[in-house]
Amino acid sequence: MRQTTLSVALEVEPVSVDRLSALIDSVKCQEEDPASGYAEKYGRLQAGVPVLHFMSMSVFPSADYDPVFVIEANFDGPPGVFWGQMEATLGPQLRAMLRCCKKPANRDGPLFVAVTSPDSRYPVAPYFAARSLRPSAFHHGNRGLDRGRILDEGRLFLATRKALAQPDPAAPNPYRLMPAARIHTELRAALKSAFPWLEQPASVRISLAERIGDWLRVAGFLFLVLVGLSIPGMIVAFISPWPRFLVLFGIAAVLIYLGLYRMRAPLAGKGAPTRSGGLTIESLSFQNDLTSLAHPVTLTIGVLLFLGIYGVVASVIATWLGIAVTGYWFDKLWWPSFRVVALGLLSGVFFTLPAIVLWLRWLELRDSSQDAPPLNPELLREMARREDRIAQNHMGSLVLVKPGVLRMALFRAGHLGLGLIVRATATEERHAQNVRLDFIEKAHGGLTLAWGSGIGFPPTRFLVLDGASHGRQFKAWARHSMTVTRFWFSAYKDYTVDQIERHARIADGLRKPTLTPKEAAEWARDL
Amino acid sequence: MGEGSMTQPPLNRRPSWRLAPPDDARTQGVVVSGFSDLPWAEALFLYAKDSGAAWINALRAAAPITNAAGKEKEARAAALAFTCTGLASVGLPYEVLETFSPQFREGMYQEDRLRRLGDKIDGEWQSTVIRGGPIWSGNVPIEQPATATPSTPVTVHALLLLYDKDQADAQRWAAEVGQTLAPLGVTIVRQLSLDLRLDKRIGREHFGFADGLSQPIPFGPSVVLSDGRPSERDPWHGVPLGEILLGHENAHSEKAPGPFIPTDEKARADLLPEGAPEGFLNLGLNGSYMVARELRQYVASFWQSLRTGAERIRAHDPNAAHVTAEWLAERVIGRNVDGHLLCPSGFPAAQDGLPQNDFGFMRDDRYGHGCPLGSHVRRANPRDGLAKDAASAQTLLDASNNHRILRRGRKFGGPVDDRYRDDQQERGLLFMCLNSDIARQFEFVQQTWILNRNFATLFDETDPLVGPKGPFTVREQPLRRIVEVETFVQSAGGEYFFLPSIPALDYLGRL
Repeated sequence: MRQTTLSVALEVEPVSVDRLSALIDSVKCQEEDPASGYAEKYGRLQAGVPVLHFMSMSVFPSADYDPVFVIEANFDGPPGVFWGQMEATLGPQLRAMLRCCKKPANRDGPLFVAVTSPDSRYPVAPYFAARSLRPSAFHHGNRGLDRGRILDEGRLFLATRKALAQPDPAAPNPYRLMPAARIHTELRAALKSAFPWLEQPASVRISLAERIGDWLRVAGFLFLVLVGLSIPGMIVAFISPWPRFLVLFGIAAVLIYLGLYRMRAPLAGKGAPTRSGGLTIESLSFQNDLTSLAHPVTLTIGVLLFLGIYGVVASVIATWLGIAVTGYWFDKLWWPSFRVVALGLLSGVFFTLPAIVLWLRWLELRDSSQDAPPLNPELLREMARREDRIAQNHMGSLVLVKPGVLRMALFRAGHLGLGLIVRATATEERHAQNVRLDFIEKAHGGLTLAWGSGIGFPPTRFLVLDGASHGRQFKAWARHSMTVTRFWFSAYKDYTVDQIERHARIADGLRKPTLTPKEAAEWARDL
Repeated sequence: MGEGSMTQPPLNRRPSWRLAPPDDARTQGVVVSGFSDLPWAEALFLYAKDSGAAWINALRAAAPITNAAGKEKEARAAALAFTCTGLASVGLPYEVLETFSPQFREGMYQEDRLRRLGDKIDGEWQSTVIRGGPIWSGNVPIEQPATATPSTPVTVHALLLLYDKDQADAQRWAAEVGQTLAPLGVTIVRQLSLDLRLDKRIGREHFGFADGLSQPIPFGPSVVLSDGRPSERDPWHGVPLGEILLGHENAHSEKAPGPFIPTDEKARADLLPEGAPEGFLNLGLNGSYMVARELRQYVASFWQSLRTGAERIRAHDPNAAHVTAEWLAERVIGRNVDGHLLCPSGFPAAQDGLPQNDFGFMRDDRYGHGCPLGSHVRRANPRDGLAKDAASAQTLLDASNNHRILRRGRKFGGPVDDRYRDDQQERGLLFMCLNSDIARQFEFVQQTWILNRNFATLFDETDPLVGPKGPFTVREQPLRRIVEVETFVQSAGGEYFFLPSIPALDYLGRL
């Protein structure tokens, strides 16, 4: 099942911000009210929106813009179904919240008026659907597991613990005398009646089409990046003989490398070198799985293969464009097109890309960072009061992006690329749980890439170095841009990403009628 | 110097660390030493109502605070630390208190912190706190002293630690200090007699296990080895000195931030501007934050509970004849009674006469079949054990080392004659540790590792030794065993202290 992640960001009328916050708090109180008629807290939302995994509501105040009301949601299936269920469950409350927001100036304005006018019965779902944004970078910890399956497998896990536990403290436990394969058989037999779905094969978490789509998007993104990088070289290649081209770009490349060499060091006192956890060449390791791009051999082969495919595909496209423009035949245009593409690629990799890095480094050396962002003690206290109550915390943060063409382009490209790569490799990411303090140490390279374009971010170097490695400074900066999460719903509040994967492994094993002794031993490790 | 707090240094040990001049003379000796040559100690918890700062100098005359420069073994030693309310009571201005870390200013018993440390949740003291709530704390916050409700009946302003070779001498010394302070309005509101009695040259906590074996090893320009060589980063336990001492470079490549005061003539005589903003002097330089928690240990309950657990396991499983109370207790700790790590292949070879401590879990015990994933030593310092694969082991080891604390605790209460019999004696551990970032170090360890109910893919269980009653998983093949463990340790008080440098003590004495 494909999961959807979306955000809705709505400008709030400044005078209505307290009213909006009170409305959100009121929904939270209703959901947590023991007299709500539901067996557990948030029972209404659990039952009314069965596709929902997580949802947060926050109101971000700022000195730079009017307050922003942000809803973030993660759910199964398309947005239409989700918003329809939300309308049926929380329609009046959502309408009241919308009335605290500004009328948008774009074509959504009439829809806003229709929804928020007095006594309106116009459905709110279309407005929320129209205002929804798909984040350019996101990570699904348990990709491909729909909510129902996560809950079912969680119940199965608890049932296995109960079955394996000892009812009589004095009597031998039959499971203790069995080999793993037999434990599997017996446990399966014991649980089948309560969990009849064990007889059915599990749905495919990520279909082949979805996986191919992911890789095609990654390839398409990289293809466009290479085309962009090749443009200066391709233009020159049209008018310059190749020996002159090579000399020209060779000299330019050497000058750029000299510039990079001179600018490589951090500013005095601004470096934060780390031994590990960064996005550096050292992150590659021969200890990684050979199927992972983090293995140097796989990465090298992958890069060379991709560059080769790019050269052929781009040459074919260029040839067909040439045919359309000139009317010449394929055999006459192929080699000139290939020459232009190849020289463009060469210049893109060895000149344009380093030139952009040099430009970026020049900007980085002149960036200002905020060493001590002002922190509102009352806001911090309110955040602390609501945190660390369940296994998951929600953290929302709004930051302004540094100005400039390059920064914006890198921000967009970086987030898009990061998002696509994370999606493509999500099944390998089992360590990512909730955002914790130690995330800074483990993944500061990725954090720097994702956040480094924010105003006031700790000093970065070559886009991925230093930055979040300034741990305390980064934490203060991130805290400064956060606000109180007024409403936070989790459909499975006791489980972490790793725990859900453990449930899935147990369930997958129990779905199989038999396991080999080796498979059974590995499977039993999770029980 | 630089050794753990409870284990006697072996004869052929490798060089330990100490501070280089001039930092050594400016730093309290307890930073570099657990004073293992002084096995007896008295912990005096002081309350100084409206006494100003004059008592500090009087106290230092009666109990000179030991610095870290001592080359010879000391005949006696002393250390002094203050709570936030203590610093306010000696007259440190509010503007200066504001420059201390938020955790220190809010205190250990701030409402949200109590929840994160597992002491009090939704208004209820948890089972890991003694009945009726803890006895002592600094009773901060100080922002609104008029309206603040005391968290504990006893307020502590300072902690004085007196170390001596002999128990009677230590107690006599404590009495003399008490007599010196009483006329100045300073009272000893609580006193614990601490000791380091060795058993076969091993310091043991009351449950009988070797303690203080694994400590971070600082490195940096201000650190030298006892043989005179410059320090190098230890691959397993190396931490920058700034993880322990304020004003030195820490794991985040910055000088560990500490408090500072406006420059004035009185302060200039003692303090340096190094690392402080323009116009200020660094009050924190060569100081540290000390976390103290008085933990009571219930020895009979521990052993009886594990004996019952072992009997139950043997009843369930005829093949489990090897499961005894000792076997289970070793798994709760993660080491055997003499401190050797439990490994699937047997104990690792000793190192320099001590149990092996240079190891990771990824290579030898990834799944916890030797040292259980949820055992106390694995939760308190997971090393590389939380890595998802061998390639990420170094990253996880480095990440773990960014949360190390330097332990200086000692036990209190008499020896145990029969560990299965409740003799109604009060005994336990005065847990003390030094760190420069309370949130990133002590609180992180307590919240994210010790009390994490989902630690290392375990489900709904916490540390079996210091956590509340609940399940504890021991992995065996083919099936893990899940044992119900009781609450064996309860907190009777605690607070965050500031351990000032020697110059900072001089300054405070002149306020």
